Amino acid sequence: MKARNLIWLLVLVAPIVALSEQWVAWAQSKPAAAAPDITGSWERHGFGPGARGGGARDATIPPPAPQPQLKPQYAKEWQDRVMAVRAADAKGEPLATNYTDCLPDGMPTMMGAMFPMEILQSRGQVTIIEEAFTQVRRILMDKPQKSFEDVEPGFYGHSVGKWEGDTLVVDTIGIKESVRFQNMPHSPQMRIKERLKLVSPTVLWNEITIDDPVVLEKPHTYTVAYRRMPDYTLLEYICEDNREYADDKGRQKIRVN
Amino acid sequence: MIIATEVTMTSRRTAWVGVVLSFVIAMAVTAAAHHSFAVFDHTRTLTIRGTVTKFQWTNPHGFLEVDVPQPDGTRKHFSIELTSINMMQRVGWRSNMIKAGDKVTAVVAPLLSGEPVGLGLEVTMADGTTKALPVPNAASFKRTTETQ
Repeated sequence: MKARNLIWLLVLVAPIVALSEQWVAWAQSKPAAAAPDITGSWERHGFGPGARGGGARDATIPPPAPQPQLKPQYAKEWQDRVMAVRAADAKGEPLATNYTDCLPDGMPTMMGAMFPMEILQSRGQVTIIEEAFTQVRRILMDKPQKSFEDVEPGFYGHSVGKWEGDTLVVDTIGIKESVRFQNMPHSPQMRIKERLKLVSPTVLWNEITIDDPVVLEKPHTYTVAYRRMPDYTLLEYICEDNREYADDKGRQKIRVN
Repeated sequence: MIIATEVTMTSRRTAWVGVVLSFVIAMAVTAAAHHSFAVFDHTRTLTIRGTVTKFQWTNPHGFLEVDVPQPDGTRKHFSIELTSINMMQRVGWRSNMIKAGDKVTAVVAPLLSGEPVGLGLEVTMADGTTKALPVPNAASFKRTTETQ
């Protein structure tokens, strides 16, 4: 009788234990109860002509970005490129960019939110979608970051995140060298750190730090702000008929139909 | 020697400050626009009156294709580049607002190359309503009265 009871007990309890383990795993992967709700649509805040004009300064608009400090050999390369872009624009013959080839911004440029952006918080992941070029990045929550060698270079890289109190802290590596922020060169050792925090119920700040021991004299930190778009659903964006092309001198031209 | 070294250091520093300052200006210009509209003439606009052959609802830009009647009885085709249709939708544009056969009037900034393409700044539709395109820094295009 005792042995039979024990078997029955095991039959009844084993599935409960197994389920409990799944529940624990599920519960652990849920957003922490205290995590702020940043899910929804956002647009760039405090950018463009007049954003700072007149009246008292809006405390929800972050200060202007400082100049990045590049090591001399890279500063020269960067400056040459920026000057070439400027000279080409002045001549009315702009240089081709990633957009000429229908290529997305990648990181960290996409976080400049050229078009509205959507943030989705789900179990174990925060997903950020930028409407322009339908850019998608996935931030894996509470996972260790990989080593540089273990991440294949891409446009969005490999991102891990965690909540530190009311701040979402994100670490990203693995950005292709061709994916550039404001034409700045970078090495495979570039690391992007982000600190996303609500500064008001409707304004989210993202303090972005680019660290690259090869190219930068010191980490470059700037802040981008977004404001909520409560009634906005992101639109689709397919680069369907791009009449712009790069000619043999790398200039942006328009196909004439 | 010490003085000479100091002079060299100072002039180097001055040169470096010059480089940094000119670069700051360049950066400010770069940061102001995501997409270069430098291929279009900022000093004059053309007014295009014609019949729509196609209202192309695509990204990265929409296009309005127009046949413009010429004094000699022929027709000249003109392509009007619009902004991203996403930007257009956010300010109320819809894909059904214009259809082939509609008579429209558009104010465009023409290509500097002289090819029959222009950046659309505003369109007056068949029903007489005028709608602007959400062109970034639209005020940087000087309006003139030239017609095509």
